[in-house]
Amino acid sequence: MADLHITNLHVRTEDREILKGVNLAIDKGEVHALMGPNGSGKSTLANTLLGHPAYEITEGQIVFKGQDITEAEPHERAKAGLFLAFQYPVSIPGVSVANFLRMAMNAKRDEPINVKEFRNELQHAIDLLDVDRSFTSRHLNEGFSGGEKKRAEILQMAMLAPDVAILDETDSGLDIDALRTVAEGVQRLHDEQGLGALIITHYQRILHYIKPQFVHIMLEGRIVLEGGVELVERLEREGYDSIRQEFGAHV
Amino acid sequence: MSEAETNESTEVAGAVAVKPGRHKEATLHEALAGAGAGDGRTLAQLREAALRAYESLELPVWRRSGFWSTSLTSLHLDALEVRHHASEPARPLPEIVAATLPDRPRAGRIVQLDGSVVHVELDPELAARGVVLCPLEQAATDHAETFAQWYSKRLTLDRNKLEAANAAFWTGGAFLHIPQGVVIEDPFEIVYAIDRAGVAQYGRTLIVGESGSDFRVHEYELGGDFEGQALHAGAFEMYLRDGARCRLAQVQDWGAGAGEVYDVSTRTVIVGRDAYCHWLPALLGGHLVSPHMELAVTEPGGDMGFRGIFFTEKEEHLDAFAVDLHETGPSGGDVHWRGAATGASRASFEGLIKIEPGAQQTHTYLQIHTMMLSPKARLDAIPSVLVSADDVSASHGGTVGELDEDLVFYMQSRGLDRATAVRVIVEGFFEPLLAELRDEPLEELIRGKLAAKLAAAEQDIETYAASR
Ligand SMILES: Nc1ncnc2c1ncn2[C@@H]1O[C@H](COP(=O)(O)OP(=O)(O)OP(=O)(O)O)[C@@H](O)[C@H]1O
Ligand SMILES: [Mg+2]
Repeated sequence: MADLHITNLHVRTEDREILKGVNLAIDKGEVHALMGPNGSGKSTLANTLLGHPAYEITEGQIVFKGQDITEAEPHERAKAGLFLAFQYPVSIPGVSVANFLRMAMNAKRDEPINVKEFRNELQHAIDLLDVDRSFTSRHLNEGFSGGEKKRAEILQMAMLAPDVAILDETDSGLDIDALRTVAEGVQRLHDEQGLGALIITHYQRILHYIKPQFVHIMLEGRIVLEGGVELVERLEREGYDSIRQEFGAHV
Repeated sequence: MSEAETNESTEVAGAVAVKPGRHKEATLHEALAGAGAGDGRTLAQLREAALRAYESLELPVWRRSGFWSTSLTSLHLDALEVRHHASEPARPLPEIVAATLPDRPRAGRIVQLDGSVVHVELDPELAARGVVLCPLEQAATDHAETFAQWYSKRLTLDRNKLEAANAAFWTGGAFLHIPQGVVIEDPFEIVYAIDRAGVAQYGRTLIVGESGSDFRVHEYELGGDFEGQALHAGAFEMYLRDGARCRLAQVQDWGAGAGEVYDVSTRTVIVGRDAYCHWLPALLGGHLVSPHMELAVTEPGGDMGFRGIFFTEKEEHLDAFAVDLHETGPSGGDVHWRGAATGASRASFEGLIKIEPGAQQTHTYLQIHTMMLSPKARLDAIPSVLVSADDVSASHGGTVGELDEDLVFYMQSRGLDRATAVRVIVEGFFEPLLAELRDEPLEELIRGKLAAKLAAAEQDIETYAASR
């Protein structure tokens, strides 16, 4: 069984069903891309995988590293090695990036990380993502530009070293240089640590830097098409309309 | 944070802006009509006048806007007494004091338990430089001249029965006098503790910072673990003369146990010419707490940073009034308060900016931020601006928020459990003010208290989250 195994996942919010039977399997070391039109349910899937309380799982199962985490608390999923880089990261007033990172790292460990080790790892991540040192003493995401928020997400990912990371439109809002840095950072984590990734994106360009082995297309709460990078090219050419016609999920 | 913003700016040009607020109580300044209670009368005469007021007044009931009130009628004043303790040199600190105060360098410390000062210490080197720290009772005789000059200069004695009780009956007390030009880095600690029921504590503090002095004061009001009623009716006055600077902090925690401590106190800080005060009260608990706090610039060039924190829990009732008063200009003010409420507590904070006629070139700002952590708690923040000068700027703003579940989820998704996430959010909410204390041990103390209160309210916060 794959490291992250999603079977027949149905998810609803208060008023309606959003995911209507999603199946997906991701192994450590694999890079998957998930694409789909606005509102098709990509972020809902991402948030559900981490256990956001607004989403109710009515059917199906999420298994991570052999454990059923369908009902697990979000922090337990994180500790097990799942990570979500948010599409819209919230800001945490009064908490510096460095302090937050230290808390998050300590949450995963029995013994608190020692100062020197922490500093080394932080420096490593800073170099990897080419962020300014002063960045880490700022309050997390407070007053950050769109691009800075995305970098802060990846910085956290680098520090927390998850087994599987979901990147929800991390590429949106990044300029071309930042995109390259972030993408190369993810690629390095993949190469060095065997990170498995589910990259949610609308654009082909991030996939120039990170090569996905698998591409999934989501439409109205279902994954309707799966394949390799050739799917991305088809999308660029034809848009979602032809796929919609082909798989025409109607609600 | 999920919050609503309120912002109001009053760039005044010959106009008077009046916001709804607690105008009936007005400011001490008004109540005094310019002349202090210490207007040449002796201490005995002032006590006598206060006693008459005490006898003629009923326990106060303050009706507030929004159909709620702060009532002292449940206080069994007759059942309380001023307890005295013999002063023994080797007497250990009261337990609650020893357990709470940080172990840190200090310039001096004075501790009043119930009705008596039980501990005084002062760095001998400072004593040699003329610094005085002693019970106020003692200052009335040993430092009669300074005492007569400043005692109750800007405090009233008859606005309500408990204020009158303080002025009539006060015992012990603290007197701190910093001579001209003396600069001290470590804080003076002034402690009022109550460790059993049935006590009425009439604490009274007088502090004078002579010109060019620079010092810190940490005031503590602490309640031990007991069952039953107790009263702290306090009065605090500080006078900062030309160019003096003080960083004043207050940690009030009467405990949220079975003890029912009522605290009705008046505090005023008078900022003189080119003087500066940074004042941060941390109001962290008490059965019924109703402070009147007034920071007044009375001479040109005075400046102030008025900060405050409050946190109410369980059945606590807080009714706070803070005044940023400018009697002359140019002057500066900057008021920033943050408060949170859990349990079935009720917290009301009124902040008033008041600029007197002639206080031209005053620039001041008032912001109040609140965070609700329980469905049963009630929290009000009421800013008011009263301006009677035309060349000034005065404005207020603030936010009203609840615990943001998206923030909690974000942190949980990074591995923090829910309780930790909530603690971090609430700490972060207060952090901008805590960091301003620039005093590590004090910051840690307040953080610790906030964390303990949150831990106690965990279930409550959980229920609130589920209910939304
Ligand atoms: N908490 C929620 N409450 C109500 N509706 C929601 C909630 N979250 C998502 N939805 C709805 O579910 C649908 C899917 O939203 P989702 O954010 O998952 O889309 P997406 O594929 O990530 O879109 P985008 O590409 O624009 O980011 C949308 O119609 C959205 O409005
Ligand atoms: Mg999305």
